[in-house]
Amino acid sequence: MPSTFRTFSVASSYYFRNYYRSRSFYLMLVISLLVSALLTYFSLKYVNKLDLIVPPKLLAALGNTGKAEIFGYFWAFVLLDLPVFASVFFGSTAISSEIENKTAFHIFPLPIGRVTLLTAKYVAAVAVTLITVAIYLIFQAAVFEYLFPGPLILGYYQSIGLLVIFVFSITAFTFLISSIFNRNTYAYITVFLIYLLVFNAYEIIVEFLYKVTPYYLLNVAADAMEKVYLNISTNPFSTASSTFAPATVGTIYTSIGVMVVYAIVSFTAALIIFDRKEVK
Amino acid sequence: MPSVLVESVSKSYRDVVALKDFSLNLQEPGCIGILGPNGAGKTTLLKVLTNIVKPSDGVALINGINVSDEPERALMNVGALVEQPEFYPYLTARETLKFVSRVKGVPENRLESEISRVSELTSISGYLDRKTGNFSRGMKQRLSLACALVSDPSIIILDEPTFGLDPTGMKEMRDLINRLNQDRNRIILMSTHLIHEAQEICDRVIIINHGQIVHDTINDPADRIIEIELDSKLSTFDFPDHLVQDAFMDGNSIMVRMRSGATNADIINYLVSSGARIRWVRPRDYLENLYVSLVSDSS
Repeated sequence: MPSTFRTFSVASSYYFRNYYRSRSFYLMLVISLLVSALLTYFSLKYVNKLDLIVPPKLLAALGNTGKAEIFGYFWAFVLLDLPVFASVFFGSTAISSEIENKTAFHIFPLPIGRVTLLTAKYVAAVAVTLITVAIYLIFQAAVFEYLFPGPLILGYYQSIGLLVIFVFSITAFTFLISSIFNRNTYAYITVFLIYLLVFNAYEIIVEFLYKVTPYYLLNVAADAMEKVYLNISTNPFSTASSTFAPATVGTIYTSIGVMVVYAIVSFTAALIIFDRKEVK
Repeated sequence: MPSVLVESVSKSYRDVVALKDFSLNLQEPGCIGILGPNGAGKTTLLKVLTNIVKPSDGVALINGINVSDEPERALMNVGALVEQPEFYPYLTARETLKFVSRVKGVPENRLESEISRVSELTSISGYLDRKTGNFSRGMKQRLSLACALVSDPSIIILDEPTFGLDPTGMKEMRDLINRLNQDRNRIILMSTHLIHEAQEICDRVIIINHGQIVHDTINDPADRIIEIELDSKLSTFDFPDHLVQDAFMDGNSIMVRMRSGATNADIINYLVSSGARIRWVRPRDYLENLYVSLVSDSS
């Protein structure tokens, strides 16, 4: 009988292959390339005309690395959405598709535990998501190297670190939603509704009515990816103090903590539901 | 020796009872057919045995291992084709078989030979490098059987294995199951709607209805069955054991399965001496009549 690690690695490579050959993967690659090209064009065009889009007060307040921080903020602003789209494609149907597409009849009778199976699929989904966003990050690094020669700014590396944690947590969150449904469409719609509508609406309402930033929301925690460049909130009702300096260590640690909790709680709940899943 | 033990298993889907205090003990190798109408509980039984659903009550043991508690160990020696499975569409048949082989512990140096063996048995050798997303229903059924045969399991569970196949494919599938059964070293548990299929392939036939076994019989192609129509219904009948293997009454007619050596005349003489008035006697398909009688009785 093969070891659990052996079956895990076999299953994850099997799922990884199925993911990277899928249309969703190529669609995400195209989106990533397209957005990278747009940001590259934007950066090259406005590198010497920042005063047209950024208040002079802000420009003056920033030091020598100010321009890089501003462009880093813009790149991170767009980067925030890429893992969301990728995990919707790869994660939101991860479990529901096994039921709706009847692949469960192929894998459930195999001598492989459901925990091993889902963990393998989760790792594969995280891996393909990271590949699609890596293209964007490579573009960003190349553009920054061209515009601001020398070592890349610290925010770039911090942003990547936060991105990796965010990919783990958003994928786990979509796996949880997927485990609740037996139909792919419901899973897709629910992930979109919760992440892009419910979370945002809740954030705005809480900030507007109670003057408190709901730091425990996943989308708020993910904002740390852009705040490592400039600590500015794009939410018009935000009560969080905006500064032109990067976010504090405390803010970053809080965001990491929230994202880790989302990842662990969501994935554990998804595992429990998947382990009890039946195909009628 | 392979074994399948189902003990007092019940399974309900909300208000619908699929299996009701169901017990089954298979200790001898051979092909066992599960017959029953739609919704009788055939597929649910096979799903319980393959960890696709968990029993609401009772236990299912495969080779002495509880399927719900230790599915990885219990299913190590099981090959299963349940319902009409789909495969991951962007992977080829070879990759799918490789995955199943690795999960079932086939050594790396034997992977290719094992894939060749099962693909030849199921006639999919020419399709191994095609993506399964482009496979027809019949091809998926063959690939599914190929997956079930990987590592030569001691227990094979087949849920309507000829479903979706063309007539040639159906014959090939039956021939293959017959060949697998000839080795006499494995249990093949097969559900089917088709009575003649069960008669052709199975050594033992279990008829289930409303989630319970209503008949369990040895299927002997050499069985001689006669149907005897009487003038009036007998209140009781009790054939001598040396003449009749079993018999059942349906209205005015009696279906009799004779023992070897017994003749039609022996049966007729016995009935006449018991006071029965016979209208006619004819050879019949025992299993089909038994099935129709049992299923219509209970419904």
